[in-house]
Amino acid sequence: MKIRKAVITAAGEHQRHLPLQTFIDGSGRNRKVLGLLVDEASSAGIEEVGVVIQPGTEHLYRDAIEHVTANVTFMEQAEPRGYGHAVLSADPFLGDETFLLMVSDHAYVSEKTGQSCASQLLEVASGEGCVVSAVQPTHEGRLKDFGAIGGVLFDAGRELYEVKAVVEKPTPTEAEQTLMTPGIRHGYYLCFFGMHVLQASVMEILRRRDADWQPGDHLDLSSALHEAAGRGRYLAQVMKGRRYDLDSRHGLLVGQLAVSLSGHYRDEVLCAITDLLAAGAMQQPAEPLT
Amino acid sequence: MPLEVLCAGLSLDELMRECQALDEFRRASPNLYQRVRALFFLYALYRFYIPQALTVEDGSTPGAVVSFEANAHLLERRFVEALDHFLEDQERDGISDALSSALAKAYYELGIQNLADQVQASVRAVRGNQWMFRTGAISDYPLRVIGELRVAEAGGYPVVHETTAVRMDLSHSAWSDIFFLGMDFPGGARVLNISVDLAVHGRDSVTKPPVEAFFRVIDEPLIRLSSVDLGVVTEITQLNDVFDFAQDYLGLLKAALIASGVIPIGLEGSGERLEALLEDLVGPGRGIELSSCVNDIPKGSRLAVSTNLLGGLIAACMRATGQTRSLDGPLGESDRRLVAARAILGEWLGGSGGGWQDSGGVWPGIKVIEGCEASADDPEYGISMGRLLPKHTLLGTDVISRETRSKLQDSLVLVHGGMAQNVGPILEMVTERYLLRSAEAWKARQTAIGLFDEILGALREGDIKRLGMLTTKQFMGPLQTIIPWASTHFTERLIAAVRSEFGEDFWGFWMLGGMSGGGMGFIFEPSRKAEAVERMQGIMVVLKEQLEHSLPFAMDPVVYDFGINEDGSRARLLRGEDALMAAGYYAMTLPLLLRRDPRALTESRRSEMARFEKKADAEPAYDAVRDRLVSNLFPRADEVPGEEVSLASLLEANGFDPVLHERIRDDMRCGLIGLSKNRMPTSSVVEDVRSGDVALSWDAADEARGREALEGGEVAVVTLAAGAASRWTEGAGVVKALHPFCKFEGRHRTFLELHLAKTRAAGRAFGVSPLHVITTSYLTHRPIRRFLESEGYHGMAEEVMLSPGRSIGLRLIPMRRDLRFEWEEMPQQRLDERAQKMRASVRAALLGWAENCGEGTDYRENTPLQCLHPVGHWYEVPNLLLNGTLAHLLERRPQLKTLMLHNIDTVGANLDPGILGYHRRTGAVLTFEVISRRIEDRGGGLARVNGALRLVEGLAMPREEDEFKLSYYNSNTCWIDVERLLRAFALERTDLEDAAKVGEAVRALSERLPTYITLKEVKKRWGHGQEDIFPVAQFERLWGDMTALPEVACSYVVVPRARGQQLKEQAQLDGWVRDGSRDAVDSLCRWDC
Repeated sequence: MKIRKAVITAAGEHQRHLPLQTFIDGSGRNRKVLGLLVDEASSAGIEEVGVVIQPGTEHLYRDAIEHVTANVTFMEQAEPRGYGHAVLSADPFLGDETFLLMVSDHAYVSEKTGQSCASQLLEVASGEGCVVSAVQPTHEGRLKDFGAIGGVLFDAGRELYEVKAVVEKPTPTEAEQTLMTPGIRHGYYLCFFGMHVLQASVMEILRRRDADWQPGDHLDLSSALHEAAGRGRYLAQVMKGRRYDLDSRHGLLVGQLAVSLSGHYRDEVLCAITDLLAAGAMQQPAEPLT
Repeated sequence: MPLEVLCAGLSLDELMRECQALDEFRRASPNLYQRVRALFFLYALYRFYIPQALTVEDGSTPGAVVSFEANAHLLERRFVEALDHFLEDQERDGISDALSSALAKAYYELGIQNLADQVQASVRAVRGNQWMFRTGAISDYPLRVIGELRVAEAGGYPVVHETTAVRMDLSHSAWSDIFFLGMDFPGGARVLNISVDLAVHGRDSVTKPPVEAFFRVIDEPLIRLSSVDLGVVTEITQLNDVFDFAQDYLGLLKAALIASGVIPIGLEGSGERLEALLEDLVGPGRGIELSSCVNDIPKGSRLAVSTNLLGGLIAACMRATGQTRSLDGPLGESDRRLVAARAILGEWLGGSGGGWQDSGGVWPGIKVIEGCEASADDPEYGISMGRLLPKHTLLGTDVISRETRSKLQDSLVLVHGGMAQNVGPILEMVTERYLLRSAEAWKARQTAIGLFDEILGALREGDIKRLGMLTTKQFMGPLQTIIPWASTHFTERLIAAVRSEFGEDFWGFWMLGGMSGGGMGFIFEPSRKAEAVERMQGIMVVLKEQLEHSLPFAMDPVVYDFGINEDGSRARLLRGEDALMAAGYYAMTLPLLLRRDPRALTESRRSEMARFEKKADAEPAYDAVRDRLVSNLFPRADEVPGEEVSLASLLEANGFDPVLHERIRDDMRCGLIGLSKNRMPTSSVVEDVRSGDVALSWDAADEARGREALEGGEVAVVTLAAGAASRWTEGAGVVKALHPFCKFEGRHRTFLELHLAKTRAAGRAFGVSPLHVITTSYLTHRPIRRFLESEGYHGMAEEVMLSPGRSIGLRLIPMRRDLRFEWEEMPQQRLDERAQKMRASVRAALLGWAENCGEGTDYRENTPLQCLHPVGHWYEVPNLLLNGTLAHLLERRPQLKTLMLHNIDTVGANLDPGILGYHRRTGAVLTFEVISRRIEDRGGGLARVNGALRLVEGLAMPREEDEFKLSYYNSNTCWIDVERLLRAFALERTDLEDAAKVGEAVRALSERLPTYITLKEVKKRWGHGQEDIFPVAQFERLWGDMTALPEVACSYVVVPRARGQQLKEQAQLDGWVRDGSRDAVDSLCRWDC
């Protein structure tokens, strides 16, 4: 099954600036985060990318997608009804096609030589023909930042899990009760990586929920995915790679360092860090003699 | 087959073989409960069966002692090491009474510890609780207060207001809700638990959920905790202070913060900053506030107020941090279960522990709570039969109709009798009984299980009269069979009084909680309930007045109005103008705020004041706070002038010696006397007795001699009854002599009545009734006299004489060095981990209290009677001389030659002709009765000190280990030769009329005796049943030190334990009954007047 389309969501109230941040990619070029994400998708064989944005903001993003190879379409989320609604805003763009969903406030570094994170995920999704979420074991202290899944081991060799439950930003109390997954260290949970391959069945759930929407409701993706887990096979792939949440404290800095340290100028960056550390040590006040 | 049947007729060798096999079994068994049961069987064998076999086989075995090293292991809770040490001693030296007692204690403690460890492990293993133990750094901190609460509206943050019911157990569970029991025998653990709203009758206008918790965000980077009922508010800025439970009265709120995960337990001792945590939790510059209110429901109600308060506080914290399904409304079943698990965790943190049904108020209405077998998914699987957490089945109106619910409310009168007692020993006794499966207790438990079904059936049918009959049957039958101490003299008199007044319309009695005397229920014919509500108060108050010197009452009795609560724990989100705390909160905090510079108040505080003003215009509860503001701003001084006068007059009336007091106070302050100075010089050589130092038996000639003396009326009894039962009632300050401690011939008898019954028996046996002197003190004289008058002196008005005390002391605030010496240098039992932390925290607070109050100053911050102290039993004999009692005795019985002096709690002491004859034969001034020492007999003994035989007090031992060399323990029963004693005082009979000469003689002798400084715990009562315990210093001179005077010839005789045993703590009673001592004592008595 060929997956041709991807959706990147960039309509979040507090995330609008992040896709527009300038990053230096692994080759040393200045890029916008959104451009990097589109490249991540196209490197996996994606031909068309839809970007969901807030109404009237398309002009802000135009420059960010210069030099990308995929076709990019901008779609507006008419009103902020939640993340699930943002995804649903791409419905006309998607038709009934299976697609790659990415968030716009993450940076990715693959640890699998020659294969990007998106490519790893699409390979599994194409092979298994079902909904697949990319996940990463995450300490419970960071549960408040991510959606998390609970499940059972599906294929140990490929670190593939069958999803039984999905909870958005669970408390550790709830996670311990519903999301403990065999094979994962105590205190760690399989949290979303910011990438999913979704099928029309998930969009159907979102459409139904949107039809029932009332003012004040929050149409989120995780509860739709939880429902999807009860309806058919839904897998989670532990990625060979790392995701960096750019929206966290020092997220941009850490994300940039991670991308740079995995690129061509690794030694140059390391030297710069070492210099900084040495200079910092020099500036420390001398220990008083005792 | 029950243990008693198995052991019947076994020889010592056979018993020892059984012990060995059991010990091997418990070491090899992988199953927790098999191990624990084996440990309890071993305890029972060494405590009850082997000592009896020793007596039968080879009499007592003096000379055997308990190893000091092994005892040190015990004190440090190294029970396994202690056991192995004792077993090695047994292998090498053979079994002895002393070693048997040590093994019994070690097996018992290890059994209890294993059970407690399992409960703790299960609490930690509950899913949803584990993460809190792992979170050891702020960087791992996972919680955030939900967004809705972090947004201020109209200048104030929304408030989560949680209301929670309390619970009553209509079936009385026969204590099957003790965690250990539910885990051991889940099928037998069932209770009928009802959530109720309360009001104190005559005080509150409506019933409502008694427990309230309030949570909100504040714009200061700290945690503010407050208890409206205790009137305490504190602001915490250091993380470690959250874990310091005894620092203030807010330990329960701190436990809730920890158990809810707001402050994860893994952060204890992490050195992290609270401000950093709060930044993650609520954002920079902000903090949280948690407040509790139980609407002045008295402590000790047996309605699990504190557990449900903990549950309510935890629920509020969990809602605020998104750990529950909903922010307001009732809790869902999974959330209730988690709150219950967290409440268990909170109780463990606070070093306390209730039963698994106690958080029943979190659930709505009427429900059956029952033990559950552990399944493969449970952490208890393979370890215990049952799970830690039980199953709750709500009984809707289809099962118990609305009509029945109304009928129950129309018949039941719920009361608090006013007694507040520590039920911990009762719960341990129940655990032991169940695990041992003793025949009687096991049968009673089966009966209780059957009664449960009948009670549930009666409720289903709406037959409240039958319900009353069944709960009475439960109390009178199985409950008292399992634990006779569940009933008290007060309870039984109360039931009798109610029955006599209401006759057939009194349908039944129902006991709540661990024991009766506090929370209780009385079921009436509905048409008389209103009358009963009014009369119960009056009946209880009268009874309390009659018994308040005998039993520990913490408060005046109250009657509750109640209603069934159909919500359980429920929350409302108070927003905008309604975003306020409880009305009482403002009574406490407004005066503090008004004293501050208004410009220093935060914006949200100022807006809160405006909201409060508006609310006060609309709601009477808030308006009342405004009315009381002036008196709250200028609180009255604590001192009550009347009480000061009373203390002064008491001192004057009871022979207080201000010169001596000042000397002792000065000496204590400058360190001349004190706990460390009580000890003899370390150069003293303390050795055990030698052969021939004690008499092990007496002969027929002795007996004949004694009989002759008794028949001749030459002997009188002196019962020391000046004491305030400090250990017996944990500092409550009642008259021990008047404590109705045990049932004999079908009713509770006081210590005093017991001693008189023995004297009566002696009178009948020897044809002459001995005179019986009761020595009293400022505390005990009037109550004892009134009691004897009201009881007609138990038919012994002719024989009984009171010897009022002529010495009194004023207690002192202790020196911190003495507190430290007591806590750090003196041997004491280490507690389990959490309880030990709690103890350390309490002690730190007490050191601060001593410093703030002024070390070595007079202790006056309590009721006058609690500020005074008797000055040691040495004075009670000279008092006989000083107050004319001895002269009077000699006047009435000129032939009087011997006095038998004994402690009020040495219940087996009687006028034994053999011992009397032996005493006469030796020609000694004093003959002391000693018993072979068991591990629990601490406090000195018979020793050779630098070669001289004498009694040594425990606090005078130069080294801790010296006591463990001694074979014999002082029973403090002493036979006194009157003529020779007078000579020791340098007096003749004729001098007794000369008060000045007697006074001089007593003073001269007293100065040759050591003055000991001791610490005693006294309770200070406040609020609604609240009690604080303070260690205060006092001085004592002790009678045993007479043996150190060279001119006082003394002899010593070893007596059986049943005769020499002193009952110092109520926890001893059960073993005392079971080892046959009670029956032995009973056989010495004649109860018929």
